[in-house]
Amino acid sequence: MADLDSPRIAYLDTTQRAPAASPRLRRLTVSLANAWHELRKSRTALIGFIMLALLFAACVATPVIATHDPVKQSYRERLAPPSAQHYLGTDRLGRDIYSRLLWGGRRLVAIAILAVTLGLTLGVPYGVLASYYGGRTDTIAMRFVDGLLAFPGLLLYLLFVTLAREWKLEGIYNDLILVSALGFAFMPEAARLARGSVLVEKQKEYVEASRAIGDSNLSIALRQILPNIVSPLIVNATVRLGYVILIVAALSFLGLGTPPPTPDWGSDLAAARDYMETAPLIAAFPGLAICYTVLAFNLFGDGLRDILDPRLAER
Amino acid sequence: MLAYILRRIAYLVPVLFVLTVVVFTFVEMLPGNIIDTLVGTEGNNDPEVRKILEKEYGLDQPVYVRYAKWLYRTMQGDLGTSLVTRRPVAVELMSGIPATVYLAVVGISLSMLIAVPLGTIAAVRRNTPIDYTAQVASLAGISIPEFWFAILCVLLFSLYLGWLPSSGYVSPFVDFWGSLKFLILPAAAIGFRQAAYTTRLTRSSMLDEMNKEYVDTARSLGFSERKVIFKYTLRNAMIPTITISGLQLANLLGGTVVLESIFAWPGVGRAIFEAIIQRDYPLIQAGVLVLGVIVVTINLLVDLTYRLLNPRVKLG
Repeated sequence: MADLDSPRIAYLDTTQRAPAASPRLRRLTVSLANAWHELRKSRTALIGFIMLALLFAACVATPVIATHDPVKQSYRERLAPPSAQHYLGTDRLGRDIYSRLLWGGRRLVAIAILAVTLGLTLGVPYGVLASYYGGRTDTIAMRFVDGLLAFPGLLLYLLFVTLAREWKLEGIYNDLILVSALGFAFMPEAARLARGSVLVEKQKEYVEASRAIGDSNLSIALRQILPNIVSPLIVNATVRLGYVILIVAALSFLGLGTPPPTPDWGSDLAAARDYMETAPLIAAFPGLAICYTVLAFNLFGDGLRDILDPRLAER
Repeated sequence: MLAYILRRIAYLVPVLFVLTVVVFTFVEMLPGNIIDTLVGTEGNNDPEVRKILEKEYGLDQPVYVRYAKWLYRTMQGDLGTSLVTRRPVAVELMSGIPATVYLAVVGISLSMLIAVPLGTIAAVRRNTPIDYTAQVASLAGISIPEFWFAILCVLLFSLYLGWLPSSGYVSPFVDFWGSLKFLILPAAAIGFRQAAYTTRLTRSSMLDEMNKEYVDTARSLGFSERKVIFKYTLRNAMIPTITISGLQLANLLGGTVVLESIFAWPGVGRAIFEAIIQRDYPLIQAGVLVLGVIVVTINLLVDLTYRLLNPRVKLG
């Protein structure tokens, strides 16, 4: 670590070279340069970041780079191998796999991000407030969280998904039920994590200082403590995104996700099982797509943890 | 310790309360009610008949009374009757438990057999090719969806090589050696995936322990490296590993739905999955409840074991 300081100088140079149009823009450039500098400290994080950047780019650009309508069937071209026409071949109904992967990924990533955001929005204030007020409030609040955590693995989602089916919810409503189920399921974990960090944080001097100048409890908890416990939450949320994607894929693999013909990695994989012997490639692509996405989130989360908590990185 | 155990058991009450409320609410929130089903089959939509039926099934009472009655029946072991098979739900679920336990226990044992040596070696030989391989393998293991991994295993070992059956189940009590053939693929699918988590955990807790002062003391006293690692650090490092494996076991007992349906393994998970497909609500309700109770109980046992293994943890 002899050249610890040299990248710092480099980033200072970048800020000087950046057009100082407005102070706000400059601040943004500095913080981006800082983030990039931090990111380069961990190879894991960097690889994860690049993989995620590609993934998000593909999700955003889907309408442009998809070559076919993802649900358009073509019986003449069933189970076609990869070609210039169909980059990854076609599935059992002659639908273009490449386009289906793109559209399916866009939906899957959107669901995961919404679900994790919902979980954080519910769980973090809950945990912060419970732990900040402490005492009996904390005990009762955490018992409730324990009750929710007691639900094993998939079962909570299965209940929600069954309800969605029985209410005959379709399309976006079905996805919203899924999002809220996954969000609720993340809530207890987010709450516990936030609570644990707040327990440490609230002993610190700056909290004492805020109290001395007469800040209200609510304002101290949410405006002073919350910003200081963000890093473990970000790491956890990143890893959770990968996990949520696995769960959604598993549910639709079981046939409990969005009904066909919506492109979906899990259900496409399930449908491809019947052609495993004759056309194993159809099952390979959605599987690889899931692996890639989950791996990207895991790598980025792992690397981020090393960057934000250097003590752990030495392990 | 006794006071602590009692307090932990008392903590279960609110947890179980939340669990029962959620499970009860689930059935309450289903569209329509049992009267529709009954009346529908009779082709009789007379309001008088509905009233009588409602009274008979207690649907004219407020929600909390019905919850209390349902809870009372449930605690007596009456979980209702399956709508599909017309057998008591308790019987349906019990018949799945041996298969699920068999799979989960073997899967977790396999996971620990892989993860503990691998994690230990990775920590001891830190920053060597062995370590990197272990880390990459475990990261890959975490990222591969279990159902895809299972399908790939079936493709390789059943379809191409023809060594193992692709699905099915034979009870180990009927034919132990015969049952192994069916067990290998699902157990390996579970084992490898869980091992991916456990390896990372074992590695990092080994590294944690190896940085502690007692290790330096042991070394300076002239103990061999082998003795330091096996007699001292590994023992301490195993505490979190055992805890996590216990939690994984609890989760597997409730969460092998996907693998059980891929391998046609007649366990509780598959029973619940089929109940969902066939809209067998009493079975879904009771299944989730029973599995939830099992998970809570195992979590408690794991927690108590953890305190026993690690007396330094303050009882709190």
